[in-house]
Amino acid sequence: MSTELRQSATSTNTTRPVLSVRDVRKTYKLGRVKVPVLHGVDLDVRKGEWVTILGASGSGKSTLLHLMGGLDRPDKNEGNAASVKFHDRELTRESKHALDRYRADDVGFVFQFYHLLPELSVLENVTIGGMIKFGRLGYRSHRHEIVDRATGLLDRFGLSHRLKHRPAELSGGERQRVAIARALINEPSLLLADEPTGNLDLKTGESILDAIIEHRQEAGLTLVMVTHDERIAERADRVIRLVDGRVSED
Amino acid sequence: MYQALLTKKYLTRKVMPMLAMAAVMLSVATILITWSVMGGFLKTLIESGRTLVGDVAIVWPNVGFAHYDDLIERLESDELIVAATPTIETFGLIQLPDDRIELISIKGVDASSYTRVTDFADTMWWKPITKPTPKDHKRADLRLDPMYTTMLGQMEQNGIAMTRPNPLTGEIEEAGVMGIEVTGLNRRLSWGGYYPLEPNRALPDGGVESIETFMPRDGQVGLTILSLDSSGRPIDPVMRTIPIANEFQSGLYEVDQGTIFVPLDVLQRMLRLDEAQRVESTKDDENPFATEFDPETGMVIPKMKQVIGVDPARVTTVLVRGKEGVPLEQIHQRVKDIYNEFALAHMGEVPDSFNMERQIKTWEDLNRTMISAVKKETGLVLFIFGIVSFTTVFLVLAIFWSMATEKTKDIGILRALGASTPGIAWLWIRYGASIGIVGSIVGTALGYLIVDNINAIHDWMGRTTGLVIWDPQQYYFIEIPSEVDLSKAIIVFVVGMLTCVLGALIPALHSARMDPVKALRFE
Repeated sequence: MSTELRQSATSTNTTRPVLSVRDVRKTYKLGRVKVPVLHGVDLDVRKGEWVTILGASGSGKSTLLHLMGGLDRPDKNEGNAASVKFHDRELTRESKHALDRYRADDVGFVFQFYHLLPELSVLENVTIGGMIKFGRLGYRSHRHEIVDRATGLLDRFGLSHRLKHRPAELSGGERQRVAIARALINEPSLLLADEPTGNLDLKTGESILDAIIEHRQEAGLTLVMVTHDERIAERADRVIRLVDGRVSED
Repeated sequence: MYQALLTKKYLTRKVMPMLAMAAVMLSVATILITWSVMGGFLKTLIESGRTLVGDVAIVWPNVGFAHYDDLIERLESDELIVAATPTIETFGLIQLPDDRIELISIKGVDASSYTRVTDFADTMWWKPITKPTPKDHKRADLRLDPMYTTMLGQMEQNGIAMTRPNPLTGEIEEAGVMGIEVTGLNRRLSWGGYYPLEPNRALPDGGVESIETFMPRDGQVGLTILSLDSSGRPIDPVMRTIPIANEFQSGLYEVDQGTIFVPLDVLQRMLRLDEAQRVESTKDDENPFATEFDPETGMVIPKMKQVIGVDPARVTTVLVRGKEGVPLEQIHQRVKDIYNEFALAHMGEVPDSFNMERQIKTWEDLNRTMISAVKKETGLVLFIFGIVSFTTVFLVLAIFWSMATEKTKDIGILRALGASTPGIAWLWIRYGASIGIVGSIVGTALGYLIVDNINAIHDWMGRTTGLVIWDPQQYYFIEIPSEVDLSKAIIVFVVGMLTCVLGALIPALHSARMDPVKALRFE
């Protein structure tokens, strides 16, 4: 990557970044074949910022999102000083347990295919995030608070009449709203959305996007959204284009 | 917390856990039924083995030992001992009413004390009963017939007292009680009872002669044994005819098929173990024509042997019954102690305590061969069923592996939400434990219900399909043992649960180690 592009992707804003990605590389193994996905990505995301990562399929958008969310780790190659920092925490050096806590406390994930648990009701799908965060004993003392927050979020997303329904009984838009409520249940400071409207029609996609934006503005949430939809990208504070595993434009 | 929620949801909404639960349930029920039935069989057998032995036996075979009355008195004065009785055990030949001759174990017993030490009185077969035996649904047992109540009541008393009125003279005679299977003249019926047959004697011309007799009424047998000299060596065969007062059923086929009880004094006389005068032994004993001068008459008379004392009566065994609830080993030790004192008091006349050490045996020692054989059979059957049931581990493993694979995406979602690897492992282990608990509870309950009703189920199977597994004509116990031991039920329950956890363990670790990104992308 050129120095200019690297400087560009790391933003000209002078406030300290919430999330800082440096020289991140990732290679997957498909059998005996090594498939490089990210070739040294640098990226800064500042507090309250909405960054959209644009890119074609296979460009490494989702992989980058997973690395930022602590779901995966960058390659540890010789001489590779890969770094993913959340505030002052170097995620690449954190233990598995610390990354679990990071995902539970600080990050909210929204996926393209909703990824709701089919056996659970709408309300349970949302509160389960609280259960994971607080654990058995903690959840008991925070139960009312979490349930109230879940019902509040679902009410806000127009799903108060669907609390006991199962995901299979919901439309795509409704499912994605449930997924967003689940991502927000623990009041994360960082929301990572992987093509949240990619599986929805235009109108529903717009409403979902509106819901996210509205919440982001109210809560001062930092949002990193992966998409290949230019129209969504236009609404973001900043757009980063990822081409073949490299930041090509910011 | 989320593990509890998901376990509940997975348990109630999937077919797979039901299959795993069914596997655990069947495995637990099978083991519990097998163990209970075999254990019950062993228990019944052991209890039967104790019926005619009491708790501890002091045995000095062949020659027997003297002063047993003193030993019994010493034993019965101890607080741990309820009663003791003298017996003689030997082998001989029995001539049956149809003239067949069989080898038989002959036991001489003192009727009054023997009934206090053993359950001899309860073993009398020919006695009036008011309730039919468990499988006698048609009340075909002639002992139930009020017409025979008086006669059977008399026979029962005769058997316990070991006497019987002579059918011709009415004079009371000493009589024997023999095992119900000895003569082969009692036909065992499908419901476990007996029907007496009339014996047929084979004639030299090829014909048969029917003999009208019913053993407890007018039957008698001939007993032939070898009498013993003063040193206990067999000398002359002695034959005696013994009337039969009753027949007994102890529950052990070997005993009931080859044992006869006769009054102690009868056997003592036959074996020459009764009280006798001791005479001086001289060189002249070799000359049957030796003479001596009688100072009173002044005549020469055949030489008389000089009486120098009395040889007390002897018995080969003293059976002891301990106080109820006292551990067998404690009674065993107390009997040894008492014998020690007794041996010191009669030093030189009875076996010393060193020689007797191994001859004082508990009823378990006496039946050890039989008990250990059945124990080994029980162990073998349990081992085989255990191995078969162990396949449940692999069945659960396969089912859980399949479920964990099916739920790969869920695992990815949970990891994305912050669930830890131990948390995911615990989810599956908890799930396995839940299936194990539910399966084991249902399996234990099912096993208990089946064991509790095993005879009714068996009867129903026999009626509807003709399949009779436990045939009272072949098995000695009329009913299949149907007692569930709580400790066994607990062990089977716990093992069933652990089996399920063990089966869930590998899928749990596999799920926990799953790459969350790959899990999320799983299709």
